[in-house]
Amino acid sequence: MMGVIERNNVHVRGSGEHAMMFAHGFGCDQNMWRFVEPAFKAEFKTVLFDHVGAGGSDLKAYDKAKYSKLAGYAEDVVEVGRELGLQDAIFVGHSVSCMIGALAVKKSSGMFGKLVMVGPSARYIDDGDYVGGFSEKQIEELLQFLESNHMGWSTQMAPAIMGNPDRPELGAELTNSFCRTDPEIAKAFARVTFTSDNRGDLATVDIPTLILQCSEDIIASKEVGEFVHRGIPNSEMIILEATGHCPNLSAPDEVIAAMRTFV
Amino acid sequence: MPEPDPRIDDFQDMFENAPCGYITLQTNGRVARVNKTLLGWTGHAADEMIGKRFSDFVNMAGRIYYETHIAPLLRMQGFFNEFAIEMVTAAGEPVQMICNALEGRDAAGKPLFTRLALLKATDRRRYEQELLAAREAAKTSLASERETSELREQFIAVLGHDLRNPLASISAGARILGRDAKTDKQHQVVAMLQTTVMRMAELIDNVLDFARGRLGGGITLDRDARRPLEPVLHQVIDELRLSSPGRQIEAEYAIDGPVDCDRTRIGQLASNLVGNALSHGASNEPVRVRAETQGGLFKLSVANGGDPIPEAAIDKLFEPFFRGEVRASRQGLGLGLHIAAQIAKAHDGALTATSNTEETKFTFVMPLR
Repeated sequence: MMGVIERNNVHVRGSGEHAMMFAHGFGCDQNMWRFVEPAFKAEFKTVLFDHVGAGGSDLKAYDKAKYSKLAGYAEDVVEVGRELGLQDAIFVGHSVSCMIGALAVKKSSGMFGKLVMVGPSARYIDDGDYVGGFSEKQIEELLQFLESNHMGWSTQMAPAIMGNPDRPELGAELTNSFCRTDPEIAKAFARVTFTSDNRGDLATVDIPTLILQCSEDIIASKEVGEFVHRGIPNSEMIILEATGHCPNLSAPDEVIAAMRTFV
Repeated sequence: MPEPDPRIDDFQDMFENAPCGYITLQTNGRVARVNKTLLGWTGHAADEMIGKRFSDFVNMAGRIYYETHIAPLLRMQGFFNEFAIEMVTAAGEPVQMICNALEGRDAAGKPLFTRLALLKATDRRRYEQELLAAREAAKTSLASERETSELREQFIAVLGHDLRNPLASISAGARILGRDAKTDKQHQVVAMLQTTVMRMAELIDNVLDFARGRLGGGITLDRDARRPLEPVLHQVIDELRLSSPGRQIEAEYAIDGPVDCDRTRIGQLASNLVGNALSHGASNEPVRVRAETQGGLFKLSVANGGDPIPEAAIDKLFEPFFRGEVRASRQGLGLGLHIAAQIAKAHDGALTATSNTEETKFTFVMPLR
């Protein structure tokens, strides 16, 4: 079996007593943290990785059944943490990886001491009084729609790119050079992301948690962020001026400053 | 020469009336400018769009896609080309578009604005969706074909087993009766029973082989160059002699080296060819078999006398279910020659036929390796 380091395309940088592990969400890969991670390299050992199916991960390790639940991704996080011997580390998750982090914390006592959630949502689909922001039909439409956008992926080029992750020029002629994914896997990841319901898992997060909420985020609205805040006992929430769903890219300085108050 | 129209050099006009839509977004994702072409396509007024988020004019799937894919990629690589997105008109109708996006940055790389160029792509999207649907349908039908094929394979295996078992009982019964047979008549009946069992067994083998070749893996070989082929041919011909008393089979062997073949299959091929010659050849002339190795080839020929095969029929001989004129008692399924040809093919060899008033001859040739 391939090691978890290769499987999840793990990169460890920086130095420091504590580690900070960054997890990307649906739609991209560890590149998501390219403007934030460098700011913490001096004080922390930083750990970047790709979820299986994304970025430079090992596509052969993609197991439909395992990754049909966020718990499958959380298992990987814990395995990577174990491999690196993480203790009392900080887990920084974006989007769906916030809940993956919450599940990983539950499975690995002592591995993580603090949790940072950027744009979390415990459930994306509305449910009775709960407002997630999306209807079931809209999520179905998204899954259909994803087939129309292949993110510069073509079956023909895939073997060249995937087989030579250290030679990105092989994929240079493609439209997009970041965040390529196999469309089938992207669709499956979208499904598990947008149909997840982790409302019941919030109360089990027993470590200090910082929630970073964007001012205008249609993926994870303020109401959704507040729900997470109320659900996690030892949590604080900071509303960012940044808009959109990816402040780690659009407003990295604000994200870094907010994180510094917490870590 | 007439004067060129002043609009040719009018950039304002080029922007407003370009054959594509233009939108410029502020860094917070809100619309700063939009051209007339896009307003025309979507039916929105400029003041309805300016100051709103671009995603307000896009369907929900597009919004999620924009936030999770396009916005991050624009920040990372500065552009995002050829993405599909669905805008919504003032009347609530969808308009499919293909879009390129480009981020304007200052010298330090800070984003200043984002420009979008949009092309209407209703027909193209419909075409793409048809392709996707066709691919989906092909996938489904392939999966169901595989399933059916597996079922058939199982069916063939079970059928073969169930047909052979009762035949083995008949054969054993005939052998027991044969021991106590007293009169010539009784001996004749027992011999006939054994011949029938043998022919039946051949038919079953042929049917099963045919079914396998057509439905699944084709004829598979178990090659073995070390064991001699000649005794297998002897045995096949001896059996046929026994089952066709009164007929003469002349056999000549000149095999002076190993033949890398599936001996059972070559035996089956020989049996099919000789059986065919006995059925169709003149009964007062011998069937001549010759097996030899020569010039890197193994050659097996089977010849008989009698009426020639009409030229038109020669081409069809190796097709399944082809049956020549023959007396009813020897009527088969018309699979023997077809399977012989398949066995030849599996050995990288060939089976050919020639026929004239002198003789009809089938020749199998394969490389020794």
